[in-house]
Amino acid sequence: MTAVLPLSAILIFAAPISAVLISFFLVRPFKPRWTHWPILISCAVVAVSAVRIAMRVYTTGPLDVTLAQWMVAGSWSLSFGLRLDGLSSAVLAMVAVVGALIHVYAAGYMEEDECMPRFFLFFHLFYLAMIGLLTSNNYVQLYLFWEMVGMASYYLIGFWYHKATARRAAMQAFLVNRVGDFGFMLAALLLLSAFPGSGARFTAVFPAVAKAPPALVCAIGYLLFWAATAKSAQFPLYFWLPDAMEGPTPVSALMHAATMVTAGIFLMARSWPLIAGVPHLPHLIAWVGAATALGAGIVAATKTDLKRILAYSTVSHLGIMALGVGLGEIGAGIFHLITHGFFKAVLFLCAGNIAHGLGKPTATVDEAGGLIKKMPLTFVCFTVAAFSLAGIWPFAGFYSKDAVLDAAHAFGPGMGLVASAIGFMSAFYIFRMLFLVFLGPRPRQEGGEHGGHHIHEAGLWMGIPVLLISIGAVCVGWFGGQLQSLLSMGWMAAAAPTVPHMKVLEAWPSLALAFAGAAASYWWTTIKPNWDWDWREKSPALAAVFASDFGWKPAMAWVAQAVVALSNWLGLSLDKGSWDRLIEASAEGAVEAGGAGAALATGSVNDYVWWMAAGVAVLLLAVLFL
Amino acid sequence: MIFSPLTILWALPIVGGFLALALRSGKRAGVFSIALSLISLAFCALLPWREGAALAVTGPAWAYGIHYALSMDGLSWVMCLLNAFLTVIALVSSLGEERSAGYWAAFLFLEGALMGVFLASDLFLFYVFWEVVLIPMFFIIGLWGSANRKHAAVKFFLFTFFGSVLMLLGILALVTLRHRATGVWSWDMQGLQGVATGPAAWAIFAALTVGFGVKVPIVPLHTWLPDAHTEAPAAGSIMLAGVMLKMGVYGFLRIAIPIFPHLSWRLLPWLAAIAAINIIYGAFCALAQSDLKRLVAYSSIAHLGFCLVGVFSRTVEGLAGGTLQLINHGLTTGALFLMVGILYERSHKRGIRDFGALFGQAPWLTFFFSFSIMASIGLPGLNGFVGEFMSLAGAARVLPILAVAGVAGVTLAAAYALPAYQLVFWGDRGPSSVSSHVTDLTVREQALLWVLCLGMLYIGLHPSGLLSVITPATKGLAL
Amino acid sequence: MNQAVWAVCFALFAVGLSLLILRRELLVMLLGLELMVNAANIGVVYGASLTGDAAGLSAALLIIAVAAAEAVIGLSLILRVYQSGRSPESDVLRELRG
Repeated sequence: MTAVLPLSAILIFAAPISAVLISFFLVRPFKPRWTHWPILISCAVVAVSAVRIAMRVYTTGPLDVTLAQWMVAGSWSLSFGLRLDGLSSAVLAMVAVVGALIHVYAAGYMEEDECMPRFFLFFHLFYLAMIGLLTSNNYVQLYLFWEMVGMASYYLIGFWYHKATARRAAMQAFLVNRVGDFGFMLAALLLLSAFPGSGARFTAVFPAVAKAPPALVCAIGYLLFWAATAKSAQFPLYFWLPDAMEGPTPVSALMHAATMVTAGIFLMARSWPLIAGVPHLPHLIAWVGAATALGAGIVAATKTDLKRILAYSTVSHLGIMALGVGLGEIGAGIFHLITHGFFKAVLFLCAGNIAHGLGKPTATVDEAGGLIKKMPLTFVCFTVAAFSLAGIWPFAGFYSKDAVLDAAHAFGPGMGLVASAIGFMSAFYIFRMLFLVFLGPRPRQEGGEHGGHHIHEAGLWMGIPVLLISIGAVCVGWFGGQLQSLLSMGWMAAAAPTVPHMKVLEAWPSLALAFAGAAASYWWTTIKPNWDWDWREKSPALAAVFASDFGWKPAMAWVAQAVVALSNWLGLSLDKGSWDRLIEASAEGAVEAGGAGAALATGSVNDYVWWMAAGVAVLLLAVLFL
Repeated sequence: MIFSPLTILWALPIVGGFLALALRSGKRAGVFSIALSLISLAFCALLPWREGAALAVTGPAWAYGIHYALSMDGLSWVMCLLNAFLTVIALVSSLGEERSAGYWAAFLFLEGALMGVFLASDLFLFYVFWEVVLIPMFFIIGLWGSANRKHAAVKFFLFTFFGSVLMLLGILALVTLRHRATGVWSWDMQGLQGVATGPAAWAIFAALTVGFGVKVPIVPLHTWLPDAHTEAPAAGSIMLAGVMLKMGVYGFLRIAIPIFPHLSWRLLPWLAAIAAINIIYGAFCALAQSDLKRLVAYSSIAHLGFCLVGVFSRTVEGLAGGTLQLINHGLTTGALFLMVGILYERSHKRGIRDFGALFGQAPWLTFFFSFSIMASIGLPGLNGFVGEFMSLAGAARVLPILAVAGVAGVTLAAAYALPAYQLVFWGDRGPSSVSSHVTDLTVREQALLWVLCLGMLYIGLHPSGLLSVITPATKGLAL
Repeated sequence: MNQAVWAVCFALFAVGLSLLILRRELLVMLLGLELMVNAANIGVVYGASLTGDAAGLSAALLIIAVAAAEAVIGLSLILRVYQSGRSPESDVLRELRG
């Protein structure tokens, strides 16, 4: 097996597994504050190996190998396998590098937390699971890592389990993802029945899609999309993501921005050979993505908690990625996935710096203001990332985001209008955040003086990773051509994905929209410094509409209550109350019948003689007449 | 020749039980019983049976063609192994409190009788062992259980006895019909296909289904289970959920389906509905519970629904998966009942809301509980997923709507398990009078849980070992 | 002639049975029991005389002996009840109630 697998492919698994085991069994019992060292070393190994894998696939092509048997029954079998092609290695490289840097950031962020060892163990388990998800060669193994990622997310969101909001958010995240996993598991089962003998391997399924029963393929496609809406936070199952910000900032940065939530997009890109042929599904994906992107973008512009703004922004950008995929522009969608990983991570880490500087888990706009002087490094990184997010040339976001929005314009006028709105809103909300936090401070803001804390720039552990990732947020966009070549390696559909090359002069409409959004936000945050607070007070009803996500959050709360009510009815009043009572009543009936029988034995000899005489008479009659 | 390894397998614990009673002192009986159960486990694991050369022993005929006949194939072997293993776990877990000699003896009797059920290949012998199983369990619940134990023990006994009587009627009918057809009195399990036809076949299959179904338990016939589990001592629950519930599915695999292969296939929609209702109804009921033991009891009903799904699908992977799930469920639920028992032993409370923030003072307990809960809800990589997935894969091939119900059950499992886990182990600190008593695991308890959890992980990633034993035994039933 | 004897026989039996069922006092119930036995004896004797079967007559003698023995036992039991001070009535002596 070692002859078949390159060393880097072995290392991306061996390093995290051994790091977790060493940390848990050897380091933690004796020197808990050093738990993160084996893990950081493992991160370095993984990051280097992932980049080497990408280079290898780029030059020599894909690798797909079955490693070991998993479940076997007769001729039915599932196995573990590795697939390193363009798609997986491109996303893997981003995940590995960004993830490694966020581990370093976490070493600084979680330094004073007494549960730091537990944090790093789960964080690294998540890292391992994500690597496994990206490199799986069949749907069931992908599902294994998909769920493992969800489990890690549960424990990490609920890391500060003393807080009721964190507990609730963790449970919500897990349950909503489980509802999505309903789709994935069912799709995997249907895949095994529609493609017998394939073991749900991609290389066996995709070439045979045309010959499989179309109804099953249709169902599988829609179910996979359902699963992706949960994991990648699209409407209707997106609402767990904003609340997931209860976790520590490294968690939000890595999982809920750069990696875990992109798993759904990755799944759809991976399944494109199957999805492309399902009628109406690609268009559905595109429209759901577009609607989610716009809706989330609007709500992001109304939030005051820094991480919540970024959470809705993530939902919005996932919508953009879904839009790209749905329109058939897989290359653009994946490109945006990669650039988004960089600039969103930077934004989250900067928000983390601000919160950490204030000594709180998260910060709001009210506590910030005028931080440009007190946190210059954070300001620079944030600005770079903001420009990238808004899609301004020559930053990374321009090349990816505008490629998707361009394709949307080409699709049709309606979609084009939505795309324009998305472009405008993205710039609006991120520049609103930039101006509100770093310019000022405004009358309603504290300017970084919260409860005696004077905000200051973060230390080296936290500052350097942010800097390094921001470099990515600037430069990654320049490698669109290389990405296109990479993606074509091992692509399993007919047409390899293309990454459109955006030229600044041709893209002037979207640049203009971005600048318009930035200018509008400048107007409403700096030229009118109190506007952001005033509109909430003047129209509380409108504020309530945005706060409830256009009414979707109360609807979901109602669904949860209905489930609990149904279970109470079934479990308590039906099962214990009615059915069990009935059964126990049969026992009581037997006792009653016995009592009635016992009542015949009165103890009086006369009665007994009477019964005897009657019995004899009956017998006599029977003998005489029968 | 009656004397054979198979006879030793069931007779050893029974004789040991009598010896334990004779020892009088609870301490000595305890040590003796644990030693004996370990010997029994080793003996079972090392039995020299091979596929194609199954062990069997037949004794002289008694009356009406009743023979003393035992046999062991892959299915029987894994069930006996599960029985022996969980007996060890149950006995070692009982060392925490003072127990009388009768307690230890009861578990040994239970182990022996269960071995007999899984080994018998004569229908009369099967019935005798089936009924004998009820007796030690009745005493375990009734003498050493919780507050409402007498009611629960009587309810358990009468309810399952009712089912067994129906099963007996079915068996008697089959044997009589065979006698009528061939003129020979024989109670052998083989050779009964085609003996019953028409309405008689329907009636007999229904009787057998009810008889086995009460043990599984199938949903309308399940109400004995929550009470029995809640009132039984922890070790009793481990044996009850871990092994006794499997008797029902074993009965389907060994008797009902082989004798009625075509009728059970024709009735697939009904049987599938039964399994699906088990899964969904069990999950919803578990959601509503506030007593930890009751919650695990209802979750057992849901898990056994998955086993039935696999078995009724009559596909190779479904049968193998459903049978494997019997073992997985034994491990997972055994671990969960073990830990709930530990909680009860320490604090005398079982309610979900009675605790809070136990993570702080009992981190190892939390770790193992998380692990087991994740296995129970079917997290891939652990054992629960393998059995459920294979069963549902079989169902998807045969009746897709059944797979939909099954996956819905998987989704619901998280809904009932996680809130309970969170309330007990995370959450705000509960009344200190309760929580402060819950100290972390002792070395003995940790050892038991490491064994169980490593087993869950191993089976989850590498089930081929067990599957290679189970599949040849069950694939004969596949269509 | 036949009918008269059988009528007497059944009438005596009926009287004895009714005494046994309807009266509470133990001595009266014993009386009724004796009446029933003797009524049956009349029937046996008359039947034997009709068929000329000597065995029937010896059966009648046996019945008389058994009735005497049983009357002795019954009377001694009732005597014990009297001596124990309890009221010798069947609705009072009800220990074997269900």
